[in-house]
Amino acid sequence: MTFALHAGLFFRRKLLETLRQPVWIISGLSAPLLYLALFEPLLKSLAGGAGFPPGQVLEVFVPGILTLMAFGAGMGAGWVVIWEMDSGVIERLRVTPASRLALLLGTVLRDIVMFAVPAVVVIVIAIPFGFQARWGGLALLLLLLAALTAACSASSSALGIGLKQIGSLAAVVTGLQLPLTLLSGILLPLSLGPGWLRVLGHLNPMYYAVEAARDLAAGTITTAAVGIGFLVTGTAAALALWWGTRSYRQAMV
Amino acid sequence: MPETGTSPDAVRTAGLRKAFRVKDQQVEAVNGIDLSVAGGQIFGFLGPNGAGKTTTLRILTTLLPADAGEAFVAGADVRRNPQQVRRRIGYVGQLGGADTSATGRENLLLQGRLYGMSAAETARRTEELIAALDLGAFAGRVARSYSGGQRRRLEVALGIMHRPHVLFLDEPSTGLDPQNRANLWDQIRLLRDTGTTVFLTTHYLDEADQLSDRLAIIDHGRIIAEGTPGELKQRYSGDTIAVAPSLPPAGLRSLERDLAAIPSVRSARTEDGSIRLSVTDATQAMAAVFGLLAGRGVGTRAASLAQPSLDDVFLHETGRSLRDAGGSAGSVTREDTAGSSPLEPAQPGEKVPA
Repeated sequence: MTFALHAGLFFRRKLLETLRQPVWIISGLSAPLLYLALFEPLLKSLAGGAGFPPGQVLEVFVPGILTLMAFGAGMGAGWVVIWEMDSGVIERLRVTPASRLALLLGTVLRDIVMFAVPAVVVIVIAIPFGFQARWGGLALLLLLLAALTAACSASSSALGIGLKQIGSLAAVVTGLQLPLTLLSGILLPLSLGPGWLRVLGHLNPMYYAVEAARDLAAGTITTAAVGIGFLVTGTAAALALWWGTRSYRQAMV
Repeated sequence: MPETGTSPDAVRTAGLRKAFRVKDQQVEAVNGIDLSVAGGQIFGFLGPNGAGKTTTLRILTTLLPADAGEAFVAGADVRRNPQQVRRRIGYVGQLGGADTSATGRENLLLQGRLYGMSAAETARRTEELIAALDLGAFAGRVARSYSGGQRRRLEVALGIMHRPHVLFLDEPSTGLDPQNRANLWDQIRLLRDTGTTVFLTTHYLDEADQLSDRLAIIDHGRIIAEGTPGELKQRYSGDTIAVAPSLPPAGLRSLERDLAAIPSVRSARTEDGSIRLSVTDATQAMAAVFGLLAGRGVGTRAASLAQPSLDDVFLHETGRSLRDAGGSAGSVTREDTAGSSPLEPAQPGEKVPA
């Protein structure tokens, strides 16, 4: 099928581009490892307190870090898209018969790999720190967060094409980053906060991903939170892919 | 493979229109363009920056939907069947479009596969193009490291990878040194000779003149003249007078103004120390010009009915010189974007030399 072939070709192109710049691979790994080494010890004393089941600080903390990684892996896509618009690459590819969704998916799939590989590394490194790996739940967790990466990556591409300027994109993405991450309970569960904070959290799609990720890391797969998490994140990914494809179709310098 | 013999028009448009809103103002970038380009020739689209060349090209290459009118490229309807058009055309945009984080060879291999060529066929064609366009020395390096000329050659190779019926080139020689420019022209002629229709935009007078088999001159979104370069220039022969007064540049300027004020002179411009006059009646104008020069006691080194250039054609049709419109070789190049037209209707007699 032509579509799958094109998506595969674009994926390969993006992967090659990344492998030529190993600095991104290193920086993608260093942030979560720093969190694990420098932030996790602070949580130790919270174990058994509110929001943290006894002895399970990492079961709460690791899913949050993984969600942060998924977000970060996706949100960089827009920068490269702007650069590719300026150099005419997008325009050239738009004159070929290639599917616009395939073009978008090349970047999305690369970003998923760039999330998933360091994610597995972080999980493995967390085990000697006391993280209990429940592999069934973790596999589903990676799937869920891959959908989150896709949503972020496609949105970032769409934003880049729409905004055209690196400066505007940076302003929008950093403007969104803090509220989205703080209001999803990535570092500390929102259940610790007052009512109004929890209400705001419920308006944030990423909140549902984090909630589902915590259940999945704990090995409980059949909770309502997991179902809602997949539903919300899956819908966000589908909408973002539609938005990104539409943007590629109309991209104009 | 490009069709040979009498094929239908490679490009045909009727009543093509496209307007943009720029700062709450409606700008007619393409304002009713009717074109008919026969297959197997080099067709030049000449005009100053902002005339609507790139917008027209973007409509023809399926990048931009037209507001009105119809366009057929390589036998397919651009609006109804863009996929068919895309399969049959090649395009090298103003921005280039080489993926600079990939090697030249990787760029070519991807391009071929996107057009549905098999892996083996793509590999064969890639090596063929690397040889034909002399990319061998650097095809294995990432394109970021290429010189301007090397990059342009790669981009042309990308445009013809799938042997398109019609190749669109948007300002192909911008930014190239004379050597690379000459090479590019040779490549373009070679393509034409092997049956490809080449549709190129340019704001360089010499490029349009020497390279095109036929050309259209576009200004403010409208075609103002069309024909072979010879025909166009012939149409205005006898309407151009060149005088070379023995004067320093400062004197030339004021003389140019005075000459432009003669009733039978439409406009005047100075070029390489001689003043070129676009006139309505050469005999009458000649007498008036010599009268004025004699009255001033200005001697002339030479005076002649000039061999008209494409700029004279432009001047005759618009009252402005294409050179002054920011369109000559060596001048600052601007994006051909709608709405940012650097052109203001100039008053005859107020023209200043480029």
